[in-house]
Amino acid sequence: MPPLLRIKNLVKTFEDNKVLNGIDIDVKKGETLGLFGSSGSGKTTVGRCIAGLERSDSGSIFFKGKDLQAMSRREKKKVRPQIQMIFQHPEISLNPRMKAFDSLVEPLKIHGWDDKCSLENKVEELINLVGLRREHLARYPAHLSGGEIQRVVLARILSINPEFIVADEPTSMLDVSVQAQVLRIMEKIQQEKGVSYLLISHDIDVLRKVCHRIVFLKNGRISGVENA
Amino acid sequence: MSYLNVSSLCVDFLTENGSVKAVNDISFEMKKGETFGIIGESGSGKSVIGQAILRLLPSNAVVNGSISFGAEDLLSLDNKNMRQIRGREISLIPQNPAGSLNPLLKNKIQVAEVFEVMGVNKKEGIKSVLGMLKNLLMKEPARILENHPHELSGGMKQRFLAAMCLSYKPSLLIADEPTKGLDSFSKKGTLDLFRHMKGEHGNSILVITHDLDFALEICDRVAVMYAGQIVEVGPVTDILQIPSHPYTKALLNALPRNGLIPLHGHTPSRIDLPDGCLFYTRCNLRSDKCGTERPATKSIKGGVVRCHLY
Repeated sequence: MPPLLRIKNLVKTFEDNKVLNGIDIDVKKGETLGLFGSSGSGKTTVGRCIAGLERSDSGSIFFKGKDLQAMSRREKKKVRPQIQMIFQHPEISLNPRMKAFDSLVEPLKIHGWDDKCSLENKVEELINLVGLRREHLARYPAHLSGGEIQRVVLARILSINPEFIVADEPTSMLDVSVQAQVLRIMEKIQQEKGVSYLLISHDIDVLRKVCHRIVFLKNGRISGVENA
Repeated sequence: MSYLNVSSLCVDFLTENGSVKAVNDISFEMKKGETFGIIGESGSGKSVIGQAILRLLPSNAVVNGSISFGAEDLLSLDNKNMRQIRGREISLIPQNPAGSLNPLLKNKIQVAEVFEVMGVNKKEGIKSVLGMLKNLLMKEPARILENHPHELSGGMKQRFLAAMCLSYKPSLLIADEPTKGLDSFSKKGTLDLFRHMKGEHGNSILVITHDLDFALEICDRVAVMYAGQIVEVGPVTDILQIPSHPYTKALLNALPRNGLIPLHGHTPSRIDLPDGCLFYTRCNLRSDKCGTERPATKSIKGGVVRCHLY
């Protein structure tokens, strides 16, 4: 079976700094692939290239067999919802002026969900999936903890049924008990919906616990692969 | 004799929804030269204690209890005398090093500003920081002073702030989440930095952290906080290797190497606190008594625990 995502010989340079120097990665459907490396090793750049937030200098990123970077704008618009990203810093992941409910409704409306009643049912379903309560919906991000924000972000992402999620250090700013909650929720979602994750982390203990395979990055190159 | 003594400390924040009990009857003491850790999950009130010691809480905070530092009662000092202690005697290495530096100014100017406020000769101050940066194992300290904050990594920013704090030779350092968001390499650097401060400078350090491994490496004793209360205090190896309180056990079980077992449920509302134990709804070992009667602290094996099981 072909991989859901295939990265071939990815190269990315910022000014004179070659951050990625020929990266090859495959991620299967329903797999959690860990990406490990120290700060500056290029982990986040890989994730940002997949999510379309950076464009590589050369190389290709195939999603379901199609090169993301060679697509037309119209094609990209169709594919982009299927690839979503969770960022490291919960405090800047949500619009500070929107309540959690509005943050969850926004992507649904963009994707054509206009029936108010079914919209509310969908939001309820989403918060149950990530273990939040109704009372969280009326809160602004400033009144939510880091773990609660990451769960709102996860629910927001899941609202448009992605098949691939890039999670860039999703728990590095969280304490151990909340980290365990968020990672277990991600695991449960994978079992229920079959999503694939690229989990970027500098915590090898976390990766060994939740990933199927781990790719080690060093100075923009893959230095090893481990089956967890 | 205790060096820092926090006794029956309560901090409430007055909000439009009611009074939020951020810190609820906290007592602990630190000896000179000791490294004392406060551990617990986000929102448990750890950082509020550090801010209460330095009297840096916002105006809606109501503080009760006492905090004595040497012969001084910090909560009754006037502002002028508190300013003599803040930064000079007690210094804070803040939680987010990036947010503590002005991105528009060169590091050198930010160092000079501190000494200017303190009324010390700027040149002498910069010289002392240069020595301190060298001492904290930073390469090319002169170049670092000429850089802007964005040119330093997270770990370097933290060392730079530590050097600024240590230049005044404070006898007590408060470090708020020193390893938050750092990768393993930078964490090791932070650990070396704290060992150095502890060993070479003999500083007393109050470490506020949710990084249990870091606490185990650096602290002599720790207090575990849950929902604004200390639930357990004792020598770090006892607490983190043979914990007594069910919350401490749950916290350790959430570590990836111990199974990544999440703690179910939510912390209680801090506006309407329940009558019984604050951990009651999440505890696997609860009894009926736990739901109705708040446990008091009891002395056990060189420390204290707040649980009806003991």
